[in-house]
Amino acid sequence: MVNFFPLQKCQNPASEWFFVFLDSPFPRFPSSRSRIPRAMASSLPPSHPAIFTSLSTKPRRRSHKIHLTFLPNKLPSLFILRSSESEAGGTISSAVEEKKAEVSSSIPGLVAEVKAETMEKPVVSLGLNGAAADSQTVDQVFKDPRWVSGTWDLMQFQKGGKSDWDGVIDAEARRRKWLEDNPEASSEDTPVNFETSIIPWWAWVKRYHLPEAELLNGRAAMIGFFMAYFVDSLTGLGLVDQMGNFYCKTLLFISVAGVLLIRKNEDIENLKKLFEETTFYDRQWQATWRDDGSSEIKNK
Amino acid sequence: MAALSSAAVAGQNSDFAGLRLASTASVGRNVARRRSLQMVDEFDLPLEIIDRRVTKMKMISPSNVAVDIGRTLKPHEYIGMVRREVLDAYLRDRATHAGATVINGLFLKMDSPPAGSGERYKIYYNEYSSSKSGTGEKKEMEVDAVVGADGANSRVAKEIGAGDYEYAIAFQERVKIPDAKMEYYKDRAEMYVGDDVSPDFYGWVFPKCDHVAVGTGTVTHKSDIKRFQAATRLRARDKIAGGKIIRVEAHPIPEHPRPRRVLNRVALVGDAAGYVTKCSGEGIYFAAKSGRMCAEAIVEGSAQGTRMIDEADLRNYLKKFDKTYWPTYKVLDVLQKVFYRSNSAREAFVEMCGDDYVQKMTFDSYLYKRVVPGNPLDDLKLAINTVGSLVRAGALKREMTRLAS
Repeated sequence: MVNFFPLQKCQNPASEWFFVFLDSPFPRFPSSRSRIPRAMASSLPPSHPAIFTSLSTKPRRRSHKIHLTFLPNKLPSLFILRSSESEAGGTISSAVEEKKAEVSSSIPGLVAEVKAETMEKPVVSLGLNGAAADSQTVDQVFKDPRWVSGTWDLMQFQKGGKSDWDGVIDAEARRRKWLEDNPEASSEDTPVNFETSIIPWWAWVKRYHLPEAELLNGRAAMIGFFMAYFVDSLTGLGLVDQMGNFYCKTLLFISVAGVLLIRKNEDIENLKKLFEETTFYDRQWQATWRDDGSSEIKNK
Repeated sequence: MAALSSAAVAGQNSDFAGLRLASTASVGRNVARRRSLQMVDEFDLPLEIIDRRVTKMKMISPSNVAVDIGRTLKPHEYIGMVRREVLDAYLRDRATHAGATVINGLFLKMDSPPAGSGERYKIYYNEYSSSKSGTGEKKEMEVDAVVGADGANSRVAKEIGAGDYEYAIAFQERVKIPDAKMEYYKDRAEMYVGDDVSPDFYGWVFPKCDHVAVGTGTVTHKSDIKRFQAATRLRARDKIAGGKIIRVEAHPIPEHPRPRRVLNRVALVGDAAGYVTKCSGEGIYFAAKSGRMCAEAIVEGSAQGTRMIDEADLRNYLKKFDKTYWPTYKVLDVLQKVFYRSNSAREAFVEMCGDDYVQKMTFDSYLYKRVVPGNPLDDLKLAINTVGSLVRAGALKREMTRLAS
């Protein structure tokens, strides 16, 4: 299970780790803006020393400064990560720049990244000596006892002798959510080879299709019953006679389509947008033909 | 560049004075381009300009599920990587040999004659000859027809009021990585998908001659491009560790053709016209092909250079191009709409790409520029698998939303 500790409470009595936040020695850039994955908590099992990331946000939304520091036993070391970006978006002419971007320092598992477009000096990265064996990755990696070598260990998902597929689905959803919030580097050594197709189709059906099907069929039944009664009271046609009538069949078709397509209120808008979308690209391509007013509108 | 060169070569067998205004001072799309086999064959490109042959590709999903693509490639099939500088120079030289006059200059503006008058166009340009330095000298020239192949920020397009298109910004850093890491990328390209890398495009690591190009792009969130680039670097972190950025480049990529591509005797080709596919962002082949088609239309319409062409002849080129490549563009548009919508759709996409049939169809259409209908039974299986993947990914997405709330 993934445990979430609030930042302050995490302390590991086994080692004398403590952390200090220092301001950057570099000049500030007014338009500096950076964003790291929203890693708000550490999820390491208690046997590892804890590493923390703090995100200090200024009132101005666009300027963030990130400090990453950690100190090993007795040897104060400082590591500061800063990434600054210029405000210029849009088209940038190609710039030939000689940059020293240290994509990784010599510390195993520790990565320093600097994009020094406006800075002259590269980032300061003092070596971590001594604690190399204990050094942790700066960003938290997804960890779960059941996630073994890039896939879910189905042996650990047994419930009463059978595989708990619901548990696998939950675990995978949790993993994806974690990675969405904290993107990780993909690695050749620990590749992810989990495929959702190993979960049998009936597990998906039971969990997702059946409840929805029940809902929709319930709606259809309610509509059907009352419409049949209503039409019968108006026209005197019983159910069997209604089915022989063209208008009634059309009405039935519209009701079924409506129940299937419009499940939530937002769906009406979504369907309209979807229709727009499907023909938008075609219209963009045909724009040049509409220009000369010729009747040669290509029907593609 | 590629478009105009092909155009020049196409006109070589007839009485044509092909003048080429090649501005080496302008900002070009100097990124590594993937070359398909079709292009190599069709345009007789020498194999020397291909830096690298990529036969393996890795697609990496938002949750780092990696799928290897390329199992179905035959031994003679590959994706060629070239540098634009090299390719463009080759095409220019070939055009010169074919009889075109290449002028190193920058197109400034153009005087159009009244429609239907048959008078010539007057082009104003800056010529950069080697003797003079700096801004170059202003010159003018009179021509019968103009083919605008000046890229995404085309001035010719502006002159004819071609209108605007939506564009993506593609940002790329060339990174020199240690040889040991370069070994991994020897014949492998990587594609990263995910909201962190790009909300509507993908991030990539493409190998080049002796370095890799790491980049990403976006249409809707252009101001966040640096963040996306940082995320791409993070995803590839372990594989490009110890790398040094040697160059940074960015370029707009059109998303759809301009509203007007032809006006009287001016036609647009390539990026200037907006012939870039969705989903993969491929434009180089279509640039060259549209250039060739346009030139062929001009040659035909003018009866080998004996009479003046008119707009109808240029529209023939448009008709031919649209008819031939519309299915390709449409299919890629649908793919993009379906599979680049959200992280869950991208997960499904990567899952689908693991399937051999999908790989075969994808490569066949990419390498040979044909949308080939395959075996109907396999197509049906593919459809079912696609729906299955999308449904599963969607179901997981629902779980994720439930977790978040």
